[in-house]
Amino acid sequence: MIECCPYPPYEGNEKRGIMEEALETGRPILETRCITKQFPRVLANDEISILLNKGEILSILGENGAGKSTLMNILYGLYRPTSGEIILKGKEISFSSPRDAIRAGLGMVHQHFMLVETLTVTENIILGSEPSKGGVIDYQLAKKQVLEISELYGLHVDPDEKIENLSVGLQQRVEILKALYRHAEILILDEPTAVLTPQEVEELFRVIRALRDKGVSIIIITHKLEEVMAISERVYILRRGKLSGEGDIKDLTKEELANMMVGRDVVLRVDKKGNGKKKEAVFFIEDLSVLKKGGNALLDSVKLDVSPGEIVGIAGVDGNGQSELSQAVMGLVKIDKGSIRLNGKEISTLSTRERIDEGISFVPSDRQRDGLVLEMSISDNIIIGRHDRKPFVRSAGRINHREIRKYAEKLAVDFDIRTPSVSVSAASLSGGNQQKVILAREFSRSPVFLLLNQPTRGLDVGAIEYIHSRIMEMKQKGAAILLVSLELEEIFALSDRILVIYEGQIVRELKTNETTDYEVGLYMTGGRKKGSLNDGK
Amino acid sequence: MTGNKTGTKVRSEREHMKKALDLISVLLLAAGAVYYLGGSFSGLAALSSGAALYLFNIYYFQGKEKTLSAVKKYLSRLIVPLIGIAAAVVSGAVIMLLTGYDPIESYTALFYGGFVKNWYVAVLNATPLIFTGLSIAFAFKAGLFNIGAEGQYYIGAMAGAWLGFKLELPPLIAIILVYAAGSFLASLWNFIPALLKVKTGAHEVITTMMFAHIARYLSPIFIRAFGGDPATSTHPYVTWELPESSWLLSFKSFIPDANYRLHTGILIAVAAAFFVSYVLENTKTGFEIKAVGFNKEAARVQGISVGKNIFIAMMFAGALAGMAGITQVLGLDHKLFENLQAGYGWNGISVALLASNNPVGVIFTSLLWGALDAGGQYMARTTHTPNSIVEIIKGIMLFLIVAKYIYIYAARLIKKKKGGGSV
Repeated sequence: MIECCPYPPYEGNEKRGIMEEALETGRPILETRCITKQFPRVLANDEISILLNKGEILSILGENGAGKSTLMNILYGLYRPTSGEIILKGKEISFSSPRDAIRAGLGMVHQHFMLVETLTVTENIILGSEPSKGGVIDYQLAKKQVLEISELYGLHVDPDEKIENLSVGLQQRVEILKALYRHAEILILDEPTAVLTPQEVEELFRVIRALRDKGVSIIIITHKLEEVMAISERVYILRRGKLSGEGDIKDLTKEELANMMVGRDVVLRVDKKGNGKKKEAVFFIEDLSVLKKGGNALLDSVKLDVSPGEIVGIAGVDGNGQSELSQAVMGLVKIDKGSIRLNGKEISTLSTRERIDEGISFVPSDRQRDGLVLEMSISDNIIIGRHDRKPFVRSAGRINHREIRKYAEKLAVDFDIRTPSVSVSAASLSGGNQQKVILAREFSRSPVFLLLNQPTRGLDVGAIEYIHSRIMEMKQKGAAILLVSLELEEIFALSDRILVIYEGQIVRELKTNETTDYEVGLYMTGGRKKGSLNDGK
Repeated sequence: MTGNKTGTKVRSEREHMKKALDLISVLLLAAGAVYYLGGSFSGLAALSSGAALYLFNIYYFQGKEKTLSAVKKYLSRLIVPLIGIAAAVVSGAVIMLLTGYDPIESYTALFYGGFVKNWYVAVLNATPLIFTGLSIAFAFKAGLFNIGAEGQYYIGAMAGAWLGFKLELPPLIAIILVYAAGSFLASLWNFIPALLKVKTGAHEVITTMMFAHIARYLSPIFIRAFGGDPATSTHPYVTWELPESSWLLSFKSFIPDANYRLHTGILIAVAAAFFVSYVLENTKTGFEIKAVGFNKEAARVQGISVGKNIFIAMMFAGALAGMAGITQVLGLDHKLFENLQAGYGWNGISVALLASNNPVGVIFTSLLWGALDAGGQYMARTTHTPNSIVEIIKGIMLFLIVAKYIYIYAARLIKKKKGGGSV
């Protein structure tokens, strides 16, 4: 058996002094020693040793699939490590469930909140550890305790408000309070900024610093470099299940971090050269409205146009009408008013099938639900939608498997889909490769108009970079592209113009090079009411 | 240049040879199947030599690796069902021991009766089951549960009997017409459930089940209209006999020692299974039905009509279940009985699940089901073990095979233990 050294050396790192130093000062509160987690097919964690000091903000940085979540789930008692030990306050521990972890003073705020929408803040916070008198919940006491904690840490939120009436930022705050209520000394935040606007992120950072000052130790799991630089004091970088680096933030640059995370130099900016002068728009939406059953507008008189070779970004907080917009364009939802035109032809009355034939390609936001038939093969997924066209079908509706295979194999090479064979099911692919299958299908149709809804959602930096370059290629080829994204960074990296959507309305049009993410963030949150659209032009 | 040409020539010669050998193996398999299903065990020899030739062919022309992977492919499909069957047999033995019956004696009788002595009964039992099983498996592929196959079975049976009486045509033409019109009528029985499903989303489990109930109790009325007379003892709950022109060919007409009841409906059923398999794997319609069945949303985004395909699947499922009734009337009974206990529709669900909705697999699971029934009766007659033990074994078998997650869970548990122990 190979002995795992307490602090394994990793390539190119000479800053191991930190750990020894920390040990000497006696500050470490949590430590993992050589944690290894072997899943049936992947080694998710390979001898990972990290150390968390009391009252510090530590980041764990890594791409998706680097093993961050596995490590945190081990700490939180959701998984058991294959080997290795966890030391909490100098004692070796072993959690068999999150309950143990909570009892030991660990709290976790998941990326997807675990809140009951119809209950109040107080009810959510005490859920599972209710203060009670003889089996009856003591709400007065509970409310008092919640107020005390929020006072102590400066996390203000109305204890009687229902969760469904709170903004995402406040919901997250409730999650943090939930952990603190259970006396968490160590708080693990999983991708805490994923759903927040820039303003909410700043507020969160303020809260995190306040918590640190009160002695709470914080671990932030993230794949965003900016966040690491902005908030944390120390960082560990994971790559493919291994620790690929660590250090003090003040000694590191963004480029160094990116390098350790991806293992090569990343181009963080896409080359955004347009093809010169703007052409006449080919795709128009006018006065488009979609109403909810009750009568509320999900989309309210949306108006936009896209020119060939242009990328128009739709920025907005999730749930402000983005999905209705793409469904309306694809004919998947009934529109109540308005027109959609492509190449001068009204398409809002056509079926989905006919719209595809008119030259619309669509990359849906939920690739597993709307983009792929996971149980079917990669090749079937590549030709679906054209499965009844020549050459994929012979006369009398017989499928030509040979042609399909040939075509799919060619596209698998063109789009760098990594798979042993195109006849395996799409479910067996990683997220990035699944997205490439969708891209292969949609881009190979040579669309006139391309609708992208969160094309890189949940993907790692490498895949994002690749997909962005393919999108730019489609732009060069002259496709008119409408990009819906929740990632402001993506909107800024790709689009020529930015439209901000808020509560179903396009509230602002901005030129990418004349605005800032801060300004866009303001409009996204309804910070400024609908101004004159012409201001942005 | 010349070398290259001869190379191509040799290659094409090899290809011709391979094709010829493949054809021979398929013919052997087909002939073997016909004889075996006709009750003649010489068919088994032809079947196994056909299979051996098929494998030898792969070995000779494509090498050892391909052969192994082909064998592996077939075995991997069989492994879960085989484990389930074995476990069910063992559980059955335990139950017999606990209740004081001799498992060895009982199983000997069960398997001898089902697969050897009364094999023809097994085949007769399996024939309608294959059709109803196909009906349910096909609907499953579209994400639908055609739980009312029983009703479509009765509609098919009634339509078969009615057309058999009415059409006075030469044999082959009469049979083809009865099948065509009868299965059409049975598929129409699913028209309203299909329409409701597409237009309002009414669940097919409820609607087809209600329609099944109606169809079943229409049959006594039908029987009275066509000769059934409860007042007489000769024709109490049965119609007149059909004219011989609409009878299916019996095996006895070309295999002299076949049982006189054994009819060629089983061959139609097997052909239907291969046809369904072909439709699903090799046609545009099959492709769309599978896409809709697996993921409606993704299909819709690609412009595939969900409603149209659900409609097609429901109608086709109705036609297949109807053929079960037609085959039973034209082949076995030559009249319609008021037999509301047969339950071919319900048993079709079992064989479809057991075959994990694979159409060709349905042939085998139906034969297994049929053999267990036939063997169970034989066992009950020759030993003292009650027939109900067979139903218990069937239940356990179904449970073990359908609950695939048990295996996944067990495998995980074993791995966990191993992983934990080795540290």
